[in-house]
Amino acid sequence: MIRARHGLMLLAPLALVLTGFFLLPVLMMLPTSFREYVPGVGLAPGVWTLENYVRIVTDDYYREVIWRTLGLGSFVTLACLLLGYPLAYLIARGPERWRVPLILLVVFPMLLNLVVRSFGWIALLANRGLVNNLLIQLGLIATPLKLMFNLTGLMIGLTHIYLPFMVLMLVAAIRNVPRDVEAAAATLGSSRMHVFASVTLPLSAPGILAGSILVFVLTISALVTPRMLGGPTYKVMATLIYDEYMQLLDWPSGSALSFALTFMAIGVIWLSSRLTRSWAGMA
Amino acid sequence: MSAAENDTGPGLAVTMAALTVIVFLQVPVVVVVLAAFSTTSYLTIPPQGVTLAWFGKVLGDPVYLSAIRMSLILACGSTLISLVIGSAAAYALFRKALPGAEAITSFLMAPLILPAVVIGVALLQYYSLSGLRGSLVGLLMAHVVITVPYVVRSALASLSGIDLAVEEAARVLGASGFEAFRLVTLPLIRPGLVAGALFAFITSLDNVPVTIFLIGANQTTLPVLIFSSVEMGVDPSVAAVSTLLILATGIVLLIAERRAGFHRFV
Repeated sequence: MIRARHGLMLLAPLALVLTGFFLLPVLMMLPTSFREYVPGVGLAPGVWTLENYVRIVTDDYYREVIWRTLGLGSFVTLACLLLGYPLAYLIARGPERWRVPLILLVVFPMLLNLVVRSFGWIALLANRGLVNNLLIQLGLIATPLKLMFNLTGLMIGLTHIYLPFMVLMLVAAIRNVPRDVEAAAATLGSSRMHVFASVTLPLSAPGILAGSILVFVLTISALVTPRMLGGPTYKVMATLIYDEYMQLLDWPSGSALSFALTFMAIGVIWLSSRLTRSWAGMA
Repeated sequence: MSAAENDTGPGLAVTMAALTVIVFLQVPVVVVVLAAFSTTSYLTIPPQGVTLAWFGKVLGDPVYLSAIRMSLILACGSTLISLVIGSAAAYALFRKALPGAEAITSFLMAPLILPAVVIGVALLQYYSLSGLRGSLVGLLMAHVVITVPYVVRSALASLSGIDLAVEEAARVLGASGFEAFRLVTLPLIRPGLVAGALFAFITSLDNVPVTIFLIGANQTTLPVLIFSSVEMGVDPSVAAVSTLLILATGIVLLIAERRAGFHRFV
């Protein structure tokens, strides 16, 4: 064993960097969230208030944005689960020689720049985009469908962006289900559907939960895709924070919203770890 | 055995659904590449004409070139710093040289849990007060914060597969502590470190939500530039520069797969 002094020396650089450039900045935002912002002036001197937090739960517009963010998170998570499970199942249980190429095709879009992927969806979904163009040429519609700057566009784009994370989590979970158990159920006369519903699905539940939490948290935190596909008017929490800081310069309100978003993300993660622990207790 | 396996394997319907999803994942990528070669500002089917003009425009534009340079400086710099301080910390945790290893690990992973936009605005206020706003050091440290968890995570993962006794044996045979690490442990965890560094590099190169709050004049990175030019309206030169990024990502992924078996680390 190396001594504690050496261990401390090895850990110190990273611990100092994270304290100085992560922990302190976040903590210093806390007092700001209790200040009052006066347009054109900045922070009102000597005034401390809970107003910024009260507004988040009482103001109609803020509440609409928060519900929209949570709804989007749930929709996207569900869509990723439904689209991701068959793919994950094929990767985990399909032909061995397909495995690596399929994983690489899942990872490639994930590694690709977020702005590039979002730009691709703009080219597809815009009024003069590929999808509308095609539908008009085929004579299916006369005027372009509104696919951007609304819930539809954000849902499609965010599902595409976070689907790879879900697939990779599900692949790991399905591979952890012992094949013997599935084979045993099949030998005992279960249909393929029944084996899936009674063995594979319940045994991969921890992975389903982990993937869902990951996608949900990533979705409610997302800034780039909602801004590019939602434009400046159709807002979610992250883009609202962006505007409070960059356009309105209302830092107190922005920091209160930041803590609200952080609280939601950490709350969901905490809840899921409680749930996982109680499942482990049952087994 | 094979009969039972066939019964539990994916059927035709599942396979078709899965392959459709694979196609869905590639669609925006293909569209961007096609748009980059198209003569019209919006992509049409069939394409109106083929041109390389947009690539020429990008590669001759000083704004794009300076953004590419800035992105590479930040990505290389932060990956290098993260690799050194991240794997040192992971090694200390692995050797159990410190009490409270679990709490320390959670602290090191915390930047992954917090929404990136929150880290961005927190650093914006902090840098405005401390005068670091618009400085290269400030940007670099911000990128270290968001990339280092990936290095720590893959370093810890590959260290966990190593038997401590091997390094102790090297010590018994006369190697110094650092020699034992360099000659025995380091080669064993190298693939994991390469994967961690690759994730760090891509994360830095990809980042908008932290960077956009902190950049000063002439510090625009490539993703921030694309992000803000899309707000101004769609221009095919965005598709061209995106295609260059797609190409670079594809090549890096293939090299990482050939050299280090990248798919094992995702």
